[in-house]
This record gives sequence, structure tokens and C-alpha cells, in this order.
Amino acid sequence: MASFKDDLSGRFAALGIIIFVVLGVLFSRLWFLQVLAGEQYAELAEGNRIREISLEAPRGAIVDRNGASLVKNRPGLAVALPPTAITDKPLISRLSALLGVSPQEIAQQVNEKRADPLKARIIKHDAGIRAVSYIKEHRELFPGVEIESEAIRDYPNGTLAAHVLGYIGEISDREILLPDFKDYALGDIIGKTGVERQYEDVLQGVKGTRRLEVNASGRPLRVLKQEDPVQGRNLMLTIETSIQAATEKALDQALASARDQEMSNAFAGAAVVMNVTNGEIVALASRPIFDPRKFLGGISKRDWKRLNRKKSYYPLNNRALLSYAPGSTFKPVTAVAGLETGVASSTEDFYCPGKWTGMGDDWPKYCWNRSGHGGIGFVSGIAESCDTVFYEIGLRLYRRRLEELQAWARRFGVGAKSGIDLPGEVRGRVPDIAWKKAFNAKTPQYAQWMPGDTVNMAIGQGDVLMTPLQLANMYAAIANGGTFFKPHVMRAVMTPDGRLAAEKYEPVAVRRLKASREHLRVLQEGLRQVTTDGTARSAFEDFSLEVSGKTGTAEVAGKDDFAWFVGYAPSSSPKYVAVVMIEQGGHGGSVAAPAVRSILAALHGLPTDMVEAHDESR
Amino acid sequence: MEAERILRRIDFPLLGAVLGLCVYGLVMIYSATQEAGGGAQMTVFFRKQLLFILVGVVMMIIIGFADYNWFSHYMPYVYGVNVLLLIVVEVVGKTTGGAQRWIPLGFFSLQPSEFAKVFLIVSLATFLASRKGVMDSPRDVLLAFAHVGGIIILVAIQPDLGTALVLVAILMGMLLLAGMRLLYFVPIILVGVLLIGAVFTFPILHSYQMDRLVVFINPEVDPMGAGYNLQQSKIAVGSGQMTGKGLMSGTQTNLHFLPARHTDFIFSVIGEELGFAGAVVLLTLYLILLTRGLRIASGARNLYGALVAGGIVTMWLFQILVNIGMTIGIMPVTGIPLPFMSYGGSAAWTNLLSAGLLMSIYSRRHKWGSEAQVRASGLGPGAVVSKGRAG
Repeated sequence: MASFKDDLSGRFAALGIIIFVVLGVLFSRLWFLQVLAGEQYAELAEGNRIREISLEAPRGAIVDRNGASLVKNRPGLAVALPPTAITDKPLISRLSALLGVSPQEIAQQVNEKRADPLKARIIKHDAGIRAVSYIKEHRELFPGVEIESEAIRDYPNGTLAAHVLGYIGEISDREILLPDFKDYALGDIIGKTGVERQYEDVLQGVKGTRRLEVNASGRPLRVLKQEDPVQGRNLMLTIETSIQAATEKALDQALASARDQEMSNAFAGAAVVMNVTNGEIVALASRPIFDPRKFLGGISKRDWKRLNRKKSYYPLNNRALLSYAPGSTFKPVTAVAGLETGVASSTEDFYCPGKWTGMGDDWPKYCWNRSGHGGIGFVSGIAESCDTVFYEIGLRLYRRRLEELQAWARRFGVGAKSGIDLPGEVRGRVPDIAWKKAFNAKTPQYAQWMPGDTVNMAIGQGDVLMTPLQLANMYAAIANGGTFFKPHVMRAVMTPDGRLAAEKYEPVAVRRLKASREHLRVLQEGLRQVTTDGTARSAFEDFSLEVSGKTGTAEVAGKDDFAWFVGYAPSSSPKYVAVVMIEQGGHGGSVAAPAVRSILAALHGLPTDMVEAHDESR
Repeated sequence: MEAERILRRIDFPLLGAVLGLCVYGLVMIYSATQEAGGGAQMTVFFRKQLLFILVGVVMMIIIGFADYNWFSHYMPYVYGVNVLLLIVVEVVGKTTGGAQRWIPLGFFSLQPSEFAKVFLIVSLATFLASRKGVMDSPRDVLLAFAHVGGIIILVAIQPDLGTALVLVAILMGMLLLAGMRLLYFVPIILVGVLLIGAVFTFPILHSYQMDRLVVFINPEVDPMGAGYNLQQSKIAVGSGQMTGKGLMSGTQTNLHFLPARHTDFIFSVIGEELGFAGAVVLLTLYLILLTRGLRIASGARNLYGALVAGGIVTMWLFQILVNIGMTIGIMPVTGIPLPFMSYGGSAAWTNLLSAGLLMSIYSRRHKWGSEAQVRASGLGPGAVVSKGRAG
């Protein structure tokens, strides 16, 4: 009888082959997985267990020229919620009630798609100590809620110098695309305006990182490695707190005084105080003001709307860097141009009948003084701001060369950025043939440059536009004998412990005005007489300081006159120049000049009370 | 000499492989159940498994010296106990994770579906051996199916799809070894394909089982859901690279990224902590186990012994393929334990009992028993008696 083995041995052999095939398949697959692709899987395993958390670096502080604090950091506590907790409805409503944040806002923060899904999201910055202690004492009511310490920007002087300092906020979708921010991550806090923005690279510290080992549920088990954040460097500004305060006070008083003088739309203005010997900005102010504290931890929609509407006069605008019709403050340009080209002389006698018909009887122009200044010299023309004198010089310049006055305006820095280290500066405008042609491209009948255009420009009207800063810079050059400095607000970069870091700002002379010393002296004399005999004599009555300056009352279509005064002191050896501009403030001599007097008084330790002044000039 | 006779009855490569696997499994369970940062300690899983193994080894030795033909003799009782346990688990069973698989016995829970495998092997072998190695009528095949059908259904409804699949594999393997006409595999495979089609068409499977199948086909479907386990297991195995991260140093394991670390995914722990080298050691132990098992089958004294041994080899081979294949992404995720490695008392005992059966078959490979003993086995004279030395 045959053994079963003889019949079935093939079957058993088949099972043997299957054993080898199965183990061979497993072997090959393991070779692939562990040896060939092992490194990739090792990386995936590391990615599973390691979480990197970035540690925010506190921003650098900002101090004034004497080291007094302008912006610093104070410790704050933030309440953060892990993304997984958002489904806990009772928890959300408890937090909402405690922190005063709506459930919708919490959901919005926590569900932020771009954020790290494993990192707790801050739902309330700078939560009060009461809320934080409540959470800590009632842990069972707030499962998963985290308290994180953070550095909060602190402004010891409130809104003081807000336009210089700027505000901070989370980087926007648009900003993150800019080359300046290529190393930034979403959610990073950056400077948005002012020096916070300008010196972002100085103030921003270096973020630290913490490598954590986490388990499968994302719970951190231990710190593998930690690199501590490095605080940003401190910034010392050229601003002097006391002068800044005096300047803002003078600006506010000028606005109030303008409104007292029935200029009911006077709510906006600007002031710049600069050292004429080196371009240092000692004070710079704009009105209306905004509160940088409102931006901490994200500005509310309501506040943001309020800051961006016409009714509130756009408080975020830094008006010291925006351009306006300069009015008569432009007249020094015309005066120097006249003297330098020889179309006018400092000894020439002009005659002002109140009505000027230099362009023919069909095209009369009027002096602000309709009854006329009568016979008037060159210097008195400046002091009295006599329009007739400057119409005449303007027309002569036009006849000499079509764009002669434009060339001089540019030499005085009009139409070009001064180069101040603050964002938002505009160029202003020197109107010329090409500009007018382009501007009126659709109405060719108005596109040609007319003699009247130069005549208007000669008194700072028409289409010429200047920023208060450009005016400060221009008068600084007049005061110092013709040197244009680059205006700046940064004095030095400091280490966090207050020592001077490598960078210290050195004054930069950008260019020299090509005008003879003698001609400048004539202009200086005219500006000196403005405060003694001219349009600002009432504002500077009984002032112990010798001041040179110029009033301006600019006509703006559809608005009340804009009031200007630019003045420097002491006249004999000038140190500081101050500009005040009041939008729709009325006359420069009566509204802006008293404010400049008050600022100059503060600079020289004199009583800063506002004086009542009188001025009819334009 | 008596001692020499006893030693000659022992298959040392098989014994070595079994004990090696038991030790290897204990080490891996020890390592897999450590908590990160907790310091090494004897976990409750390790201690229980150690006890299971020790008891199981005693069982193995007893069975190894006993006469396997005894099971054939009492086949109806074996079959009855098997069915009874599976019915008991349906009635009083403990439900865990949606499946009713365990009979709670205080200290541990008995999992009848594990024992069903070895019970099925010994009872089905009795039936198939009675066909005397000739299965050329459809009736024989249908009877074989009838023998196992009820048990497979009882296991499948728990539901324990994995074990049901193992039972089907055992059936197929034993039909092959029992000499069924190869042509009969054609209709069997056709019916199988139709059944699989029905599974996907009609709501027969539980939704989690369906998910697992879908995820097996495309693991990227839902990486944090059903595909998560598979993905984490592949990361664990792959990241072990050539020599592994070291015992108790597997990050996937100790930080709980790996699911079912000490049970279904114990192989992933080996892959991660001991690398390709550790995996090859395991595959080598299995190779010894399976080839020795096959040798015992083909060298068995009678057809019954050959079929029991072949069934056991088929069972292990199928479980090794599906379990390791699952952890490395070439098989669907089914809850099939890895022989001798996965934590669990019922599984450990089933495997050690099976090893004991192999030893018993090996020790009786020679005609050293009396003809009367063979007759007492109920197989009748001449049916399966080999002439001379086998193997």
C-alpha cells in the first residue's frame, strides 16, 4: 500500500515553497522600508515627536535724547486657548464673560487657519490680574486654558509724540510679502508707522526657539533644546520730551485759539522743531492725535473705523510730512531767486497800490493789503509780505526764463523728499510746464504754462505744495547760511542696558544753497523784520528773544485759509527753527506765530504762555 | 538508554525557535509598554505575559509527550467544546471595541476564537484523514466545508473577522494537504470572489471594518482617522532603519504614536527599536519554526498527524503574513496577532499548544509505538502506517 507521503509529497513541497515566498516578500518589503527608505521615515518620526515653539523677543525700548523713556515694555499676561478647546461651549462662554471678548472673536482667533494647529492661540492680550487670578484659582472651570507672560508696549507719556513713535501691530498679509519682512512669520508683531516701522530692524529682537518632545496627543514631555530670545536694541531719538510736550501744547492751543477766532474747522495741524545746525528733529507733532495704546493686542474694528474717517480728520496721518500750499512762507524762494538772477535788487523801491497790473489791465492781481503798501523797499516787502513786490519779481523771473522760479524752488528742497528717517514723507510739488501739461491732459485748453502761474507760485499759491518739514528744512538752511541737512529723529542705537551701541547718527549735509552770503543776509534781515515790524510783530511783541520768521496764510479751494508760521531764533546765531501749520486756521500771524513763539520760548527757557496776536496778511 | 531515547524524541530546532520567540516576545512587550520618562519597570502586561508563557510552556511539554492521536479519537468532544465556547462567548461575552470576543474569568479573559483555531485543526484533520488522502468527490469537499462552516460563522459574528480569515486559510491549507483535487479550488475561489464582492456591495461588515479595507487600498484617504494607525506603523518600522533605535528608545512606541503597541502592532516595535536586523532575526526564527513544522508534517507517522502539523504551519504562516504585512502596509489592518509575539494569554496558549502538538507528532514519527496503539487511535490498521523511517 502506498504511503500517503508518496501521493501528497507534492502538496507538502508546495506549502514549503509558499513559506519561502511569504517570508521572502516580507524580507524584501522590510529591506525597502527600513534600509532604502529608512531615512525618510526617520525624518517623519522626528517630525512626529518634535515641536518647535518660537519664543517672542521683546522689542527694544525708545528713549528721548536725554534717555527719558518714550516707549518701554512692561510684563503682561495673556490668556491662550488650545485649538482643541474651541468645541467646549461652556468654557468659551465663561472665558467670554471673564475677558470681555465675544465668543465669535475667540473662535476667530483660535480657528485662524494659518496658525500652528498645536499651539495655543492668544485670545486676550494683557488680561488684567483679576481675570488671570480667577482663572488660576478655578482651574477646573478652565481646562486647557494657558496663561502666557508677554511683553506689552508701554507709553509712559500717553499719546505724546505718537506720530514720531508710531504704533505696532500684527504683520498683515500684504506686509509679509515685502522684502523687508522676508524673515517674518504670520502673527509677528511689527512696527506699523513712525520710528517703530522705520527702525523695525533695530527694535525687533531675535526670536528664541524651544524644541519640545511631545507625545501622540501633543502634550509636551520635555524640553530638548532652548535658544533664548534676544531683546531688540534700544533706540535713542533726537526728540526732547519737554520740547515735544511744549510743541504739542502750543499746537493744541493754536487750534483752540483758531476756533476762538471763528475758524470753526480748525482741528488739524502740524509742528516741526529742528536744530538748524545739524538737522536733528527736537519735536514733531501732528493733530489730531491717536493713541498707540489702542493698537496693543489688536485694535478693535470700531476704533479702527474711527481713525479712518473724514469726520475725525484721519488722526493716523502725520501731517508734518504731508504737503500743503505754503502761502507766503514760500516768498524767500522768490526773493533769493530775484536777487541771485539780478531781476531784483535789495535796494530797489517798489510801489504797491494794492492792485497789480503787471500782466496788463485785463489780468489784475491784488495785494492782501487792498489799500496798498505804497512805496516799499525789498526788505520791507518781505517783512510786510507785500504780494505786489513778489508778483513783480515772479513775472520778471518768468520773463527771464520760463522755469527760473521752479529751478530755485528745487534748490530750496521743494518737490523732493527731505530724507527724514520717518515713513510717510511726501515730495510736495514744484509746478512746471511738464507738470501742468500732464495734469491738464484732458483739458488741453488749460494745459499751457501761463505767466500768471509763475506769478501765483511766487507768493506760494497756485499749485506749489510743501510739507511742514520741507519748510523747516528750508528755513534752517536760510538760518545757517545755506546748508541743507538731512532731518533725522534717530540719535543713537543703544544696547538694552543703556550703553551706546555701534551706531550713532552723524549729521549729514545734503547740499549747499548756491546763493551769495550777501543775498542771504538781505533775506535774513527781511525775516528778522517780520517779527519786529512786519506781519508777526503783534505775535512777538515784548518777546525777549530775537526771532526771524515768516507768516503764511494759504488759500485752499473750498476750505478756510491755512495758517503758517516758520521762525528761527536767536536771529543772530540761530539754533532752532520751528514750523506750525494749522489747517483752516486762518491767519499765520495771529494763529500760527503765537504757537511758534511759545515753542521757541520753551527752547530758551522763557514763559510759554500763548499771546493774543493780530494779522491780516495773506 | 532511556534519557537518550527521550532526547531523540525532541525536535531541538523547533523547541529552540519556540522558546526563542517566547523570550523575544516577552522582551518586546516589556519594551513596548514602558512609559516615556517613567524609568524602566515591570509593567503589568509583561508580568501577565510572563505568567501566560510559563503556564503555556508547561502545557506544551505535556502535550508534547502525550499522544496527539487522542484528539482524533475524541474528535466529537473536541468539536463540541469548540462550538460550546463560541456560543458561551456570544451569551456572556465581554464586549470590547464593538466586538464580543472574551469570556471574563477574573484574572484574565478567555478568547475562544483563538482556541477555535487549534480545535478546528485537530477536528478537521480527523475528518480529512478519514478520506485517506483521496478527495475527489465534491461531496467530500462539501462535508469539509460543513465541518468548519458553523465555527467560522460563529467567529465572524462576534465579530472577529481576522480570526475568521485565519480559519478559512487553515481550511484551504488543509484541503490542499489532504489531497483535494486542485480543480476544486476553481469553484471555491469563484465563490470566494463573489463573497468579497457581496461584502463590498451589501452592508455585511461593520463600518470600522469597511474603513480599514478602504484605508488599506488608499492609506492617504484619512491620515488622522483609520489610515493613521497604518501610517504611524510604517513610520515606526521605516525609522528603525538598519539597527533600530534601541530597546525602550522607540519614539513612535514610547510616545504613543503607535497604536496597539504590545498587541497587533508589536512587530512595528521590533522594526523601530531593533531595526532591519531585529526583523531579520524574527523572520529567521519563523523560518525555522515553519520549516521544522513542515518537516514534521511530511514525516508524520500517519495522515492525521501530517494534517494537524500542516494545519498548524498554515495557521502560523497566514498570521505572520497578515500581521507583519499589515504593519508594513502590504496587508489590510485586521486584528490578527503575531504568533508568540503579541500580548495575550489565549493566543500564547493556542500557539504553545500547537507547538506541543508538533512535538508530539515529531516524537511519534518512528514506529516505536505498538500496532495496538495505532489501532486505538481509531484510524484503523494500514491506513496511515508508514513503512520504515519517515522523513
